[in-house]
Amino acid sequence: MTPSESIVGRGNRDGAALFRDWFDDLSAAAERGERAAYVFVMGSFNEILKAFDMRVSFPEISSLQLAVRRVAHEYLSEAEDYGYSPDICGYVKADVAVQLRRGKHPMGRIPKPSMAVYTNACNTYVKWAEIWERMHHVPIVTLDVPGHRRLGLHTKPGDPTFENDRRYVETQIRELIATCEQVTGTKFDIDKLRETMRHANTMSRCWARILELNAASPALFNALTDGTIYLGVANGLRGTPEGARYFEDLVEEMEYKAAHGIGTTGDEHHRLAFVGVPCYPIFRRFNELFSDWGGTFVHSTYLWFASGGANCGHQYDLADPIPSLAEGVLLSVRDAMDSMFDQTTMVKNSIERFGIDGVVFHPIKSCRTVSTGLADSRRALMAETGISSLFIESDMMDRRVVSEAQLKNRIDAFFEGLNSKKQQAAAGAM
Amino acid sequence: MAYAGGVDVGSTQTKAVIIDEAGAIVGRSLVDTGANVVQAAQNAFDEALRAKNLSEQEVEYVIGTGYGRYRVTFGNDQVTEISCHARGAVHLFPNTRTVVDMGGQDTKAISVSPTGEIVDFCMNDKCAAGTGRFLGAASAALDIPIDDLGDTALKSSHPVKISTTCTVFAESEVLSWLGKGKKIEDILWGVHKSIATRSFGLMRRVGVEDEVTFTGGVSRNPAMVEALQQRGGVKLNVSDDCQYIGALGAALFALDRIQAGRTPAKEAS
Amino acid sequence: MTITTRVFDAWRGRPLSELLYECRDAIEEGDFSMVERWRDAGGTVLGHFQVYFPVEIAHAAGMLPLKVCGAPVEPNDADSRFGSYLCSILKTSLELSLSGRVTLDMFVSHPICDAARNLAAIWGRNHDYPCEILYLPQNATSSGSARYLADEYGRLADVAGEVSGRPVTPEALRASTALFNRSRALVRELYAVKRDAPWKIAAEDAYALVAIGGRIPVEEHIDLLEAALPMIRAVDAKPEDRIRVVFEGAFCEQPPLDLIRMVGRSCYVVDDDFLIGLRWLLEDVPASDEPLFALAHAYLETSSHSPVQHDDRKPKEAMLMKRVEAAKAGAVVLTAAKMCEPGLEEQVAYVLELDGRKVPYFLSEFEENMTNFGSLELQVETFVENLLFG
Repeated sequence: MTPSESIVGRGNRDGAALFRDWFDDLSAAAERGERAAYVFVMGSFNEILKAFDMRVSFPEISSLQLAVRRVAHEYLSEAEDYGYSPDICGYVKADVAVQLRRGKHPMGRIPKPSMAVYTNACNTYVKWAEIWERMHHVPIVTLDVPGHRRLGLHTKPGDPTFENDRRYVETQIRELIATCEQVTGTKFDIDKLRETMRHANTMSRCWARILELNAASPALFNALTDGTIYLGVANGLRGTPEGARYFEDLVEEMEYKAAHGIGTTGDEHHRLAFVGVPCYPIFRRFNELFSDWGGTFVHSTYLWFASGGANCGHQYDLADPIPSLAEGVLLSVRDAMDSMFDQTTMVKNSIERFGIDGVVFHPIKSCRTVSTGLADSRRALMAETGISSLFIESDMMDRRVVSEAQLKNRIDAFFEGLNSKKQQAAAGAM
Repeated sequence: MAYAGGVDVGSTQTKAVIIDEAGAIVGRSLVDTGANVVQAAQNAFDEALRAKNLSEQEVEYVIGTGYGRYRVTFGNDQVTEISCHARGAVHLFPNTRTVVDMGGQDTKAISVSPTGEIVDFCMNDKCAAGTGRFLGAASAALDIPIDDLGDTALKSSHPVKISTTCTVFAESEVLSWLGKGKKIEDILWGVHKSIATRSFGLMRRVGVEDEVTFTGGVSRNPAMVEALQQRGGVKLNVSDDCQYIGALGAALFALDRIQAGRTPAKEAS
Repeated sequence: MTITTRVFDAWRGRPLSELLYECRDAIEEGDFSMVERWRDAGGTVLGHFQVYFPVEIAHAAGMLPLKVCGAPVEPNDADSRFGSYLCSILKTSLELSLSGRVTLDMFVSHPICDAARNLAAIWGRNHDYPCEILYLPQNATSSGSARYLADEYGRLADVAGEVSGRPVTPEALRASTALFNRSRALVRELYAVKRDAPWKIAAEDAYALVAIGGRIPVEEHIDLLEAALPMIRAVDAKPEDRIRVVFEGAFCEQPPLDLIRMVGRSCYVVDDDFLIGLRWLLEDVPASDEPLFALAHAYLETSSHSPVQHDDRKPKEAMLMKRVEAAKAGAVVLTAAKMCEPGLEEQVAYVLELDGRKVPYFLSEFEENMTNFGSLELQVETFVENLLFG
């Protein structure tokens, strides 16, 4: 293979392989009757859990895989028969059905939980963990990670409010460590924590770099489709040497592509930003609805919050790991919360840097966390920038509320407008 | 003289418009869409041609729009009805800034810039509340022809508050008010006000700016016009050609293509 | 500056039926004129969204704490700021402010659920005054929770003091705490009447007596309850053949008074979670050198339960059963507001528990501004008939 052939596309190939390996390992463990810690993307505390060599399962990811593999509706129906309302988060319902099926999943088998660890970054996490507690009677550890208290008001390390919050998070981390010792029967080893945090540092640093590199024209990767592969590794392998190596390789690939002008598509007419959670039930098709018009997603807030704020690239100080972890979690998770609730300024700041022509807001029925505020955020963004934007609603799990025809109608109208705007601008320039 | 055509295939009715180079309508037609969408499009187009005694070849470019736009088999291209309604409305009323289109089963609100570009749009196609279908349900419940609903409603003096938002339940609510002895015109006016509230909510999402143009078949209903005007505190532009605005917009886009030199004959060469 | 003007006076010196009418009318009509009277007298208003807020802090800063919990209004302006698949309370609450019916000087919300936590940013974007988020602990059993919460309360107190121009002092907090202790104790007395002699007070009247406390100064609420309670106890009415129910699911978006009235026609609502945030603290908060810490401690240790608070020590279905047993209820009216995620999720656990313990229940959804009850009334009556005669 030429250097070009071996490096270009490596991230997608290796990412898919690592993801597969992770699920295979989980399945094998489940078949042996072993368990895994259940965690979430916003505040996974994998740094701690992997210092105890705990296997981790991300129910958000297993649920979305059901939608990608087009079997979500069976699981949703089962959960609704069990009593869950059609109007609650699809991820939760899909997982309830997975639990009822003793872990049976198209990718193998999901192990039962040994414990659950979650933050308040999403309220559904809290209700979800309560369901596991009832089903499995395992320890569920809530970690309060207070976010920003006022729109646009960002506290920093050293500020009294920040330090109050950091102190609380640190106390909770120490309590989490104690729970992990009980669950695993192993003593906590602070040097192992340093190791996992070191790898997490590499991954965060690389992730921030990769996202920035996509300001290149043509864009190096599709923030909607390729981005999901990278996220799988960013989350599932957080704090591992394999994860760190993967992301170093990914930076190498992207830098190579940037240097050689190799884009993700040869047909980039409109550079787009995506705000929300992808439409997993028609994942590929959804992207095609845009790429058919030459639209490429160069930027996505999903890559911010669904990486737990790793896009900040925060670097832990390994000399004093636990306070540093508390600080890092606070900064990253609150950034993730901002990119869900208060992303107007963040998106605005990206428009020029990434050469964005249009912003696609995609609220979904399942996720009120991300979706509730998008209409007003969009209104504010349009008022402040005049950027073209599209507002389309569907879901990330439930295909009953995904109407391709209606989506296409709106997407087509959006591109008609974008093309017209560009033509007018060109005519005006002449 | 070059002619351009637009065919708007809606869920209930298909409209065709033919315009000349000056953008004036020379032929129009309206047929029920029925089950055979491709045929309906052809029939509508043929009828519009007959109005001016034109042959199909004389119409240099045809654009299909509406939900069935890809079934306009003889068309040269497709443009969404969102773009077409905006274009048609601005053509008829050049100071249009907001368009509200109420069709048989969906309602759209579109905001346009001073140069006629779409700034934002919002559609209600999740459910039929706030659409013409709601009137259809009332018409069925009261056994009054749909074209008479408006005039009847305008006679109301004590409107009833219709609380149901679901078109499926609208019928039973209407009947329940009748059972309580309420007058038909009061119930009907209540229905119109309810639709106006829903539609106005949609308009607010895109921003309501003078002038507001009301398009679509339901805009022929004087009570609907009045209800929307009262609800929004705005005067509405209404046209006798309201049902053809989508097709007109499509025809105007077709004319653009002709004028840009992108006719099929020239594109092929 | 201390406001001495009374803002809700029409009930004074009137017989019980008229007193209750004034309270009901204010709630049903969405009357917030008392808030305007407070402002006209020079007062400032702190609006706090559901579910719980440490009202003592607002009071100690000289502000009127106004519970923002929806309203009987059409969300004409607010609707366009939200997407679909959402509960009504968010929109009508924002509408109250956008329409000018209510003017606030400060707004506080807490992430009770994924929909409501977005309110902070939306509210903040559309108003010029401080819109703060209060992060109440979901980790109630951490050794750091109480200290954290006390610091959080301190932060809010600082903001409130800046807004009102009256910095919050420990003395003021102690005085405010004592007052709210009193009003909460009076509400507990009212609930004791509901439980022990429910024929003396209609469900919707008891509701209105509590709800009005969310929008008038605590001093006036105390006066109102102190006047009303002896009159209620003196009511000469006979117990009727109605089933005793707990009404659960109205912790955030509130059912319309007509719905409560309708349930009350065939049931005695002997306990409920109506506006549970106003009744969150179950005991008097002791006077303390650190009044904020005392409030924080009370929030965590001597409090009620709701689907929006996680606490390992208070599994919701166990708490519901305790409520049923303590109130000697025979059945549960189990509701959730439409689209209410925490409510709908909790219903599953509640249903499993009630089925397991063989407690009959009636399951339903409601919307704060629903006006059509025909179908619901039929179902409730059928449910009651089955219980009484089945």
